[in-house]
Amino acid sequence: MIPELEIIKPFSLEEAVDFLNDHPAEARIIAGGTDIIPGLMQGSKRFTGIKYLVDLQQIDELKEIIADSENITIGALLTFSQMINNDSLKNNFPLLVKSASTVGSVQIRNRATVAGNFINNAPCADSVPPLLVYNAKIKLLGVNGNYEMPLSDFLIKPYFTRLKTGEIVTQIILPKPKKEFIGDFYKLGRRRGVAISRITLAALIQIEDNKLGEIRLASGAVSPIGMRFFDLEQKYSGSVISDKLLKNISSDLGKEILKVTGLRWSSEYKVPVTQQAMYLLLERICSAHKQVK
Amino acid sequence: MKIKVSFILNGLQVTVETEAHRRLLDLLRDDLNLTGTKEGCAIGECGACTVVMNKLAVNSCLVLAGQIDGAEIITIEGLMKNGALHSLQQKFIEKGAVQCGFCTPGMIMSAYALLLSNKNPDEEEIKEAIAGNLCRCTGYKQIIEAIADSEI
Ligand code: FES
Ligand code: FES
Repeated sequence: MIPELEIIKPFSLEEAVDFLNDHPAEARIIAGGTDIIPGLMQGSKRFTGIKYLVDLQQIDELKEIIADSENITIGALLTFSQMINNDSLKNNFPLLVKSASTVGSVQIRNRATVAGNFINNAPCADSVPPLLVYNAKIKLLGVNGNYEMPLSDFLIKPYFTRLKTGEIVTQIILPKPKKEFIGDFYKLGRRRGVAISRITLAALIQIEDNKLGEIRLASGAVSPIGMRFFDLEQKYSGSVISDKLLKNISSDLGKEILKVTGLRWSSEYKVPVTQQAMYLLLERICSAHKQVK
Repeated sequence: MKIKVSFILNGLQVTVETEAHRRLLDLLRDDLNLTGTKEGCAIGECGACTVVMNKLAVNSCLVLAGQIDGAEIITIEGLMKNGALHSLQQKFIEKGAVQCGFCTPGMIMSAYALLLSNKNPDEEEIKEAIAGNLCRCTGYKQIIEAIADSEI
């Protein structure tokens, strides 16, 4: 059973922030509700003590998509379905849209929001690795006004972020990658539909002639939270592309993941599978690049 | 605490007094006696509770009464017109896409939402639309055929 609670529907962001600050322990934001409602239903410890759900649906600015020459900024209430159906997101951020189309089911995607996906910060949040390789920033609003933060700084550990009590994530800022960037997204789940991811990988690479320019790699589900591999990216940027190189990158990635997770019962199969999946992903990206040329 | 919610249900304006945390699923089944909508998993994984809200398929187990004010909701009971079954309902019968029938209302509502935005879906699009609806009896082939044959 869902415990007794009230739903508050503020008309403005200011009103919402005030309410959250007046009820720090008892109020929680509800966006799509696809995590919080089953969580409440199952009595999850993450949601105990909630008396008010603050529903932001009436605040239209949280649903806007704004494009300028450098960024596409999306409102935090944008659902996965709205994201999949947006042409400028499809053209500029194909990995993100691909990951969005693998989330849950149509019913879930019609409600669930991208921002909810990372604010929750479950290890298996599908959209996080693509957001990370696109260097997504987020905009927050608190009692002291607006500020921005890279998404990679915002995510701390499973189910924890830097979101402070009384704050709202209002926008996601996606810098448009340069044209030379090419990438792909990989997801492994137990089934295709409505399956929790076991491994997600995103790679976005700048290819110049036969060399790697900037490389951006991220993983999810197989790492404790969605994460980038900055050291690895630096190490290999500028290298000449060869089959051996792609294998080395993938092998190093597996070792890095093992460093953060420690040895687990599943490492024996997950690490080699992740390495192989990353290798195939990189190979696919490099051959797609050749075809474009 | 009771609240008042007004919304359009199967074409009719309704106003109910209920609690904000009540699930749309319970509101439909217990308060409004529309028991066509089924409860399976209660956590958004089986699709048995699917209804169409503002032209989109949603799981009614994942929507709270306090969120539906002003919405337009269609349930399986809203498909029949002037005593005649909807094409989807008719085709599900003809193609043998119903066995125990528990998943059927949810399947049909997912298919209905698909047809609202895509009059001629191909097999892949149909599969995607019902990927969130589980059927443990018929096998999906008949269901896909029934949807492919239906019109809105
Ligand atoms: S009962 Fe709602 S999805 Fe299963
Ligand atoms: S007909 Fe029995 S579950 Fe689908």
